[in-house]
Amino acid sequence: MSANSEPPRPYERDFLLGLYRRMVRIRQFEEQVRFLFLEGSMPGTIHQCQGQEATAVGVCSALGPDDYITSTHRPHGHALAKGLTPREILIELFGGATGCCKGKGGSMHVGNIDKGMPPAIAIVGGGIPVATGMALALKMQKRPQVVACFFGDGATSEGAFHEAVNMGAIWNLPVIYACENNLYGASMHVSRITRMKHIADRVAGYGIPARTLDGNDVLAVYEAAGAAAAQCRAGQGPVFLELLTYRLTGHSRRDPCHYQPEEERRHWAGRDPIEAFGRTLRRRPDVTAEDLDEVKTQVLKELGEAVEEARRAPKPTAEDLTTDVYA
Amino acid sequence: MLVDVRMPDLSTTDEDIVVVRWLVQVGQRVERGRPLLEIRTDKATMEVESFATGVLREVLVGPEGEVEAGQVIARVEAECAAPASPAAPAAPAAREAPAPRASSSDGPARSAPAARVGMFARNRQQAARQAEAPCAAAPADLAAEAAPLSATQRIVARRMQQSKQTAPHFYLMTSANAEPMVACRSAAGPEGAAWDAFLIYAAARAMKRFPRMAARFENDRLVCPGTDAIGVAVDLEGDLLVMPVAGAAGKTPLEISREIRQLVDRARSGDGEARRLHTAVMTVTNLGACNVELFVPIINPPEASVLAAGKVLPQVVAVDGKVAIQRRIGLTLAADHRVVNGKYAADFLGAIVDELETL
Repeated sequence: MSANSEPPRPYERDFLLGLYRRMVRIRQFEEQVRFLFLEGSMPGTIHQCQGQEATAVGVCSALGPDDYITSTHRPHGHALAKGLTPREILIELFGGATGCCKGKGGSMHVGNIDKGMPPAIAIVGGGIPVATGMALALKMQKRPQVVACFFGDGATSEGAFHEAVNMGAIWNLPVIYACENNLYGASMHVSRITRMKHIADRVAGYGIPARTLDGNDVLAVYEAAGAAAAQCRAGQGPVFLELLTYRLTGHSRRDPCHYQPEEERRHWAGRDPIEAFGRTLRRRPDVTAEDLDEVKTQVLKELGEAVEEARRAPKPTAEDLTTDVYA
Repeated sequence: MLVDVRMPDLSTTDEDIVVVRWLVQVGQRVERGRPLLEIRTDKATMEVESFATGVLREVLVGPEGEVEAGQVIARVEAECAAPASPAAPAAPAAREAPAPRASSSDGPARSAPAARVGMFARNRQQAARQAEAPCAAAPADLAAEAAPLSATQRIVARRMQQSKQTAPHFYLMTSANAEPMVACRSAAGPEGAAWDAFLIYAAARAMKRFPRMAARFENDRLVCPGTDAIGVAVDLEGDLLVMPVAGAAGKTPLEISREIRQLVDRARSGDGEARRLHTAVMTVTNLGACNVELFVPIINPPEASVLAAGKVLPQVVAVDGKVAIQRRIGLTLAADHRVVNGKYAADFLGAIVDELETL
């Protein structure tokens, strides 16, 4: 299942370090946010994705800048992987007027359409019909782009999932349904919502290719998403990818996560996607431990500056109340 | 540098957060990302991690203490920079503690957390202030602290909760021509009857024709009360009292009005009996004096209904095919569906309107 057993020969060093950097950026971003929340600086509840960095980075790295994604209530990793800057997201989280949604979206609605990410949709499964509709538009306009649609295991029991995936299937739409199966829909274990061992098996009923793979192996995800994107661009979409992963935090910052058994947590802590990929990289002769440390140092510097800027960012004014509002 | 530790916004509702116990004692080291205390919210018990590394100097809230999100609960002598400053490693601290750094005593971020009240806390404070603003009559010290209820307020609170939870209310709304009431009041000169008196008079007379409205539901049976008194809700310095007027169908509105006034005077002078929350066969409640046009009341159990009246207002109406201005009063009858059905209650409300319109 894992591609980590062998050094990835065909890839350039800089490309691989780029993947690593994006995953570290997501992890450290989430850690910063975690402490900002504890410190009392960050309002509201926040859904974090520590442990799920490889799914976001693997899928988004297989897309072009003009391809699209849709995201969920846990969107920080997707946004960073799609090319949004820590700065524009952090300012948004602080409610600042210069955030990616001008401070009106907050954590659960980060996005930047110029970078291929409409604001995240926090309703469970809500992004699936939207992504399918976007793919339909692309097809009707004969444009070459694809849409990658992120959602969790819980969403696959929503009616919207089944209706949208079937529509995507009958119209051969260019959409990658990327299911991040982290075993829990909030606190509900996936085994309590389906009798199928693999969610991908449920999707086989819609007649589209559906694969289950190690979502903590960034290269495996990257390769699967790359193949899926090529299939979509050839008019043979959609493709379903079940990415097995695990969140190392609670469902939200308010969730003590007591339902994750200790043994299960230990098992997955040993399969940390960043540590695993770091080990893979270290097997290459041209990557040193210092290289990896340097990545982390640079990321922390970048994030520290972004946090300071976000703290000082101006807040929206009363006049902004009626701008960008459609109803 | 001494930094304040504030309770993070961990509650899913606005309920207070309860401190269960401190996992670090005063004088001991705390580390960024390590558990500092255990708390209980409305939903779960959980550990709260420290955002600072240093020594716990002061604990401001002991076990079972209740705090709001944003409240200062402890002080830490921080040896490491405040969180999220550029060079502070934000490592998952369960695995590794951040290295102490030399230049940790300056920079804009460091004093920020101590000085700042969290954004959510500010929002809540603002919301709380707004909520309090209209309560001009509330004692000044009500502000943020839990205010004890008076004995009467406690009884009302329990009764109203019981009523809403057990009596299946339904609501009928209508309005009545108030001109006959207005005429009666002007005819009586300066001592005109209170509006409440007309409502009690009308309800008592209508109830003669609809006796089931006087019954109450008890253990799957209808029980007839030993009284025909109609109550009127009175606010006396923040306490809600119900003054019962017996035999109102045989009295004039003016007599009823005088009786209410006497009862209120007795209650105000401290007469314990008059201050009781009496039960009657139904209650009349009137917020017309507060400019309320129509409202939905709660039944005073074990009564089966309550009549709410709003402000008497001039309305444009059609009378005999012509547009006219008529003063009207908005009425809501809330009834217990275990006692009466909609049709019966509607006919009863119609009878009240008839009485008010044919004084």
